[in-house]
Amino acid sequence: MARFFDKLLNLDRRWLFLLVFLGVAVPIILPIGLPVTTTGPTRSAFEYIEALKPGDYVIISFDYGPSSAPENDPMAEGIMRQCFLKKIRVVVIVLYQLGGLQLASNSVAKVSAEFPNLKYGVDYVNLGYKDGAAAVMKRMGDDIAGAFPTDVRGTPLSQIPIMKGLRSLRQVSVVVTVATGLIGEYWITQAHQQSGVPVIVGPTAVGAPKYYAYLNAGQLVGMLGGMKGAAEYEKLLAARYPELGRFYKTTRAFTATKGMDAQTVIHFVIILFILIGNIAFMSRRAAQKKAAAR
Amino acid sequence: MNFEFGRVALVVLFALLPIVGIALGFFVPALRARGPLFVAFFAGIIPILSLYIPRQFLSGETGMRPRLDQWLIIVYGFALLLGIVNVIQNGSRKIARREKGWPYSAVLMTGLFLTGGLGIWGAVSGQGITTLPDGSGTPFKWIADHFFLPLQATIFALLAFFMASAAFRAFRARNTEATILLAAGIVVMAGRVPLLEFLSSPFPPLQPTAAVASQGLGKLTEWIMSTPNGAAQSGIIIGAALGAASMAIRVILGIERGYLGLGGGE
Amino acid sequence: MTPMPDIGTWVAALLTLFAFSFLYKDNPLFRFTESLFAGVSLGYYVGTTLNQTLVPNLIKPLTHDFNQNWDLLVPGLLGLLLYMRYVPKTGWVARYALGIYVAYYIGLDFTRRIHGEVLPQLGRAIVPLSHLDGHTIFYSLIFAIGVFSVLIYFFFSKEQDQVTRRIARVGIWFLMVSFGAAFGFTVMGRVALLIGRLNFLILDWIYPLIGIR
Repeated sequence: MARFFDKLLNLDRRWLFLLVFLGVAVPIILPIGLPVTTTGPTRSAFEYIEALKPGDYVIISFDYGPSSAPENDPMAEGIMRQCFLKKIRVVVIVLYQLGGLQLASNSVAKVSAEFPNLKYGVDYVNLGYKDGAAAVMKRMGDDIAGAFPTDVRGTPLSQIPIMKGLRSLRQVSVVVTVATGLIGEYWITQAHQQSGVPVIVGPTAVGAPKYYAYLNAGQLVGMLGGMKGAAEYEKLLAARYPELGRFYKTTRAFTATKGMDAQTVIHFVIILFILIGNIAFMSRRAAQKKAAAR
Repeated sequence: MNFEFGRVALVVLFALLPIVGIALGFFVPALRARGPLFVAFFAGIIPILSLYIPRQFLSGETGMRPRLDQWLIIVYGFALLLGIVNVIQNGSRKIARREKGWPYSAVLMTGLFLTGGLGIWGAVSGQGITTLPDGSGTPFKWIADHFFLPLQATIFALLAFFMASAAFRAFRARNTEATILLAAGIVVMAGRVPLLEFLSSPFPPLQPTAAVASQGLGKLTEWIMSTPNGAAQSGIIIGAALGAASMAIRVILGIERGYLGLGGGE
Repeated sequence: MTPMPDIGTWVAALLTLFAFSFLYKDNPLFRFTESLFAGVSLGYYVGTTLNQTLVPNLIKPLTHDFNQNWDLLVPGLLGLLLYMRYVPKTGWVARYALGIYVAYYIGLDFTRRIHGEVLPQLGRAIVPLSHLDGHTIFYSLIFAIGVFSVLIYFFFSKEQDQVTRRIARVGIWFLMVSFGAAFGFTVMGRVALLIGRLNFLILDWIYPLIGIR
């Protein structure tokens, strides 16, 4: 037995890699369709946006890059769909340098194509990327055009109808920061605290644990943590809006709900890894103790 | 010309003062360190004072702080590109001297000049870097979509494999603390996914239409995240924030000078 | 018939495979991909900063309405001054720009830390414990003990007497729960990226290639 565990502990790690690969690939090829239950922070984010009125302003800030897109894209797109359905005016901005602009442009193009009756510049706008996150938020607190003089393609804000009624963050109903890293925290600890704008955060799973502290302190309206949070949001959307329910069921595109199958299988695999690794470790330690006693 | 107070004051502080300082610095070497620290003090104190002293000259429409925000967005852009000079210097040296691994430097430089060049072309031609008016993408966008996005995503996706391997090899219940860590990790990993549902019935008619709240393990996970984890995170945030705030004071007062290449503090 | 993957998909798929090849062992294809990634990323920085920040916020305001924006010449020059550090002998003049840049952002950070972190977090830790029912114990009391003991652990890390050492130990347990939870969440996040990549390879590249819809 001890020799078996020794062998196991010295297993070439490429076998582990293969198991991880299969654990993710198989559920993609053969989807299971596991149920997703919802949690409080996601529900409060959903209900907050649900309570907004047509014509209210929501800023969706793309504060992430391709390194976390599978988690963050579905959040941003889900919330955009909800706003579009409710005729809430959406202002998209990007504060994350490495790839945020590309992801924001792609998501806006994708989701706006699903709502052909909405007009760019009237119902939604993409202001593009800006350097210097903290300074940008500070400036937006008194004048958005001071930080973003033009939209993503260089049209001055004064020529964009949707921006006519929107001068500063104080008129925005909620900022949704879909974030990896620090920028999400800036929205909460700087923009919210100093200009009072409510904030919903959609962090990566890696960043989520810290946001519970802000959630506890009432600095956040709600939170969508990682791919699970995104899947919960899709679930809530599908339950409230039958047309989105059909959409999420039939779309070929990637959704967080689809990702949760692989997520579940791989968690199972990794928990097994930990348990087997520990059993092997303990039995080896027991064997060593026995040998030492002799 | 617009000579509002905020603009003029900023120009005096951050243009005239530095010009005088630089001119004097050529003759009095001691000013090469003190001058920048003096000017930096104002740059650091304006955002702080403007929050606590809501006076027109600081935070009003024509005051100093809003204009300074706008200025520093621009300076940030320049600062972000600083490191690229270093990369180009190192890369061209490696290639010129045919140092070990120089072909990879050549690949790096090609990627940099091609992508950066298309970006510069976008700015010069007025096309930008996203989509053209007819809806088609710019060449920069093509590179970003098909080279940059998949590369960045894949390099980070590699971490999933190493994480799993570390879980197998290094995640051990050696003592009380490690056991607590391990237990919390396992509960959270199990509680955030429908693991029990998966184990009990791998092929049931799933995906009910109602959005059900989490039960059992899911509830426990939520409690762990909000209460013990939330408490620890609060403690960490308070501790780190106090440290960062005192560091900020040291920098603004010129006690901490390492960032200017002037050696540590006093 | 499903449309065949286009050239962009092929490029992305091959680069993805090259990067994954590192899992088998380090090899020239991976090193090529890694270098290309570094180069393209830096080029991407240049493109976005130039087009999205410097042109709309600096160059256009100066060329279109100089009278209103003449003062923006200063941040433009300060930005260029930063690059003087690469000039030997007069590198010190860059300190003016660097000093302004660092001090401003650290000043903003100061307000954020005190106003947005210390005060609200301390406020949250002060909880009413007047009647100890189950809910109060499981949420408020445990929370308060956690924050208090973690702070004790941080602030008395050098000289500890019996009492603070014990409290600090409790603080460590809270931290361990948090780190364990963070580990679980990190696994989730990393796996999500892998799901994204394999999803792309399988659904956008392999399936169209073999004619599966």
